[in-house]
Amino acid sequence: MNVASALGGGIFPELALRLTETLTRLQAARGVSVGCSAKRAVFSLGKTTLYEYLPLAPARAGHLPILICFALVNRPYVLDLQPERSLVRRLLEAGLGVYLIDWGDPDEADRHTDLEDYIEQHLGGCVRHVLGSSGSEALNLLGVCQGGVLSLCYTALHSAHVARLITITTPVDFHTPANLLSRWVRGVDTELLAACGNVPGEVLNGVFLGLMPFRLTQEKYVRLLTGRPEQRAVEDFVRMERWIFDSPPQAGAALAQFVRWFYQENAFVQGTLRIAGERVDLAHVQQPLLNLYALDDHIVPPDASAAIRRYIGSRDYTEHAIRTGHIGMYVSGVACKEIPRRIVAWLEERR
Amino acid sequence: MESPFSGGEFKPEELYKASAERFFELLKTFAAPSPAAGGAAHDWSQMAGPLATQLEQWLRMSQSAGSWFSAPGAAAAAPGFMGSQWPFGPLPLGPAAVQKPETQRIWELAARFAQLQTQLAAHWGEIARSAAQRFIARAGVPSAPPSLDQTLKLYELWVTCAEEAYAATARGEDFSRLQSELANVSAAILVEQRRHAESLAKAFGLPTRNEVDVLYAHVKELSRRLAELAAGSAPPQRPAARAKTAKAGKAARTKGSARKRRGRA
Repeated sequence: MNVASALGGGIFPELALRLTETLTRLQAARGVSVGCSAKRAVFSLGKTTLYEYLPLAPARAGHLPILICFALVNRPYVLDLQPERSLVRRLLEAGLGVYLIDWGDPDEADRHTDLEDYIEQHLGGCVRHVLGSSGSEALNLLGVCQGGVLSLCYTALHSAHVARLITITTPVDFHTPANLLSRWVRGVDTELLAACGNVPGEVLNGVFLGLMPFRLTQEKYVRLLTGRPEQRAVEDFVRMERWIFDSPPQAGAALAQFVRWFYQENAFVQGTLRIAGERVDLAHVQQPLLNLYALDDHIVPPDASAAIRRYIGSRDYTEHAIRTGHIGMYVSGVACKEIPRRIVAWLEERR
Repeated sequence: MESPFSGGEFKPEELYKASAERFFELLKTFAAPSPAAGGAAHDWSQMAGPLATQLEQWLRMSQSAGSWFSAPGAAAAAPGFMGSQWPFGPLPLGPAAVQKPETQRIWELAARFAQLQTQLAAHWGEIARSAAQRFIARAGVPSAPPSLDQTLKLYELWVTCAEEAYAATARGEDFSRLQSELANVSAAILVEQRRHAESLAKAFGLPTRNEVDVLYAHVKELSRRLAELAAGSAPPQRPAARAKTAKAGKAARTKGSARKRRGRA
C-alpha cells in the first residue's frame, strides 16, 4: 500500500511511520515457530495422534498422568505456543506427566467419522494407551472447549478410567441467552450438512469471526498499528494469527452431530444424549471436577460453562472464572499464570 | 474470504495491510472538513451517509461476512462457473454435461440463494445506518482537524458503535434464520452438484462417491471389530499399578465428599 496516498497527503505522518515499521516487523515475523516443548508420538488411530511430552522436572509423587483433549475445530498447539505462554510447559515444570491428543486433518476418508468414533475409538484409544503405558487404572482428563464436551461424554460413559476431570471453556448448556452461535445454527439442516462431507476449517473460522467482526477482524490490527509494538510483541501476535487461521477441516458426520445434539437439541441439559447406544448422563460424572471459564467469552458464554455444576453428579466441584476472552484463556498473561497454578494446586489437594 | 494464508504461504501482514487501509479511509472521513460547517468544525450528522456506506462495503468484503457474498450467487452457481474460492462452489463440469432436471434444480437453488443474499444485504444496510447514527449521537463536536489521540478515540467509539449495531441485528430472529437458510441452500447446491458428478462418474465407468463410501464403511466396521479383538486380548495390568491407582482414587473420593464446593474458588 502507498502510505502517503492512503493518508491523503500525510494527514497523520506519525501513523504512517508506525504502519511502515509494523509492516516490516510483521514480514520479519513470518517464520515464527509455534509449539515449544519436546514431545513424541506414542499412539495413533486414523488421523489422530497421541503425544507424550518429555518431562521437564522430576516426577511429582502420587500424581496420575494428565491427558489433554482439545477441540476438534482448532489446533492444540495453542496450549504450548511458546515458552512463556504454554499450559503444557507449566504442567511439565510442576512434575506432571502430560499427554495431548492431536485430532489431525480429516480427509474424505473421514467424512463419516462421527462423535461416537471420536469419543469411543480415538479418545478412548488414547486413554487406554496412557493407562497401559503408565500402569494406572485411571488418569486425569483435561478437556478444552469442544474437547471438554467430548471429555464429559467419555467420563460419563467410562467413569472408572477418569480419576479427576478438568474442563476449560467448556459449554454444557448451549441455549443460554448470550450464545449467538447457537441462535445462528438452530435452523441448520444437519442431514444436509452431513451429506456435504467434510467442512473446511476456513468456513467455521468465518463463522467464529462473524460473531464479533469489527473487534476480531479490524480493531486488533489497528491496535497493532497504533500501539507501536516491539518485534517480540509482533511475533507473539503473528503466532496467534497463525493459530487462529490454521483451522483443520471437520469430519462432516461429527460436525453435523455436534450441531444437532448440542447446539440444537441441548442434549446435555435435556438428558437426551446417547453415544454407542448408551445414555450419556452427566450425573454419572462423580469425579472431582475443576471448571475454568472466561467471563468475556464470546464463543462459550460464562453461563454456558458454569451450568455444568447443575448437571454433574460430583460432590467435589470447583470453578474459577477469569476476566478474559475465549482465546485469552489460552494465551493471555493472566490466564497463563492463573490456569496452571490453579490446576496444579487443585490436583495437589486431591493427591 | 481474507486470510493470512494467501497462495498457501503464511503472510501475516496481508490482513494488517487491508485493515490499515480501511482504517486510513475512516481517518480521512473523520478529518475531512465538513461542507456544512464551512470547514471550520465537524458536523457529524453530515458524515452519517459516508460512514454507513464505508461500513456496508466492508461488511460485504470482511472475513466473517464475505462467505455469503463470494458463495455461489444467481450467476455464479451456474454449472461451469469456477471463480469462487468458496468450498461449496460449483464444480467445473460445463453446462452441456448437466442433465436438464438437475440444471433446473440448481438454478432454483441459485435463485433462492440470490434472494437470501439480498436479504442479508438489507441487514448490512440496517447495521451500517444504525452504527453511523449511534456514532453521531455519541461523538460530540470536536474541533477540526482532530488530534491523533482524539482520532484514535473516535475510532474506538466507531468500533463500539458498529459492534453494538451488529449485535442488535445479529441476535434477532430474522438474521439468525437467514444464517441457517444460507447454510442450508449452500449445502443443497453442493449436494445437487455432487449428484450430478455421481451420474457423470457412473456414465464413464468410474467409481462413484457412494461406492467409495460403502468401502470406507466396510473398512471402518472391520477396524472397529479389530480394535475390540485387540482390547479383549490386552494383557492384564500389573497388580502394583492397580493398587496405586485404587489408592489415589479412594483418596480423591474421600477428600471430595468432605469438600463439596459450589462457589467460585
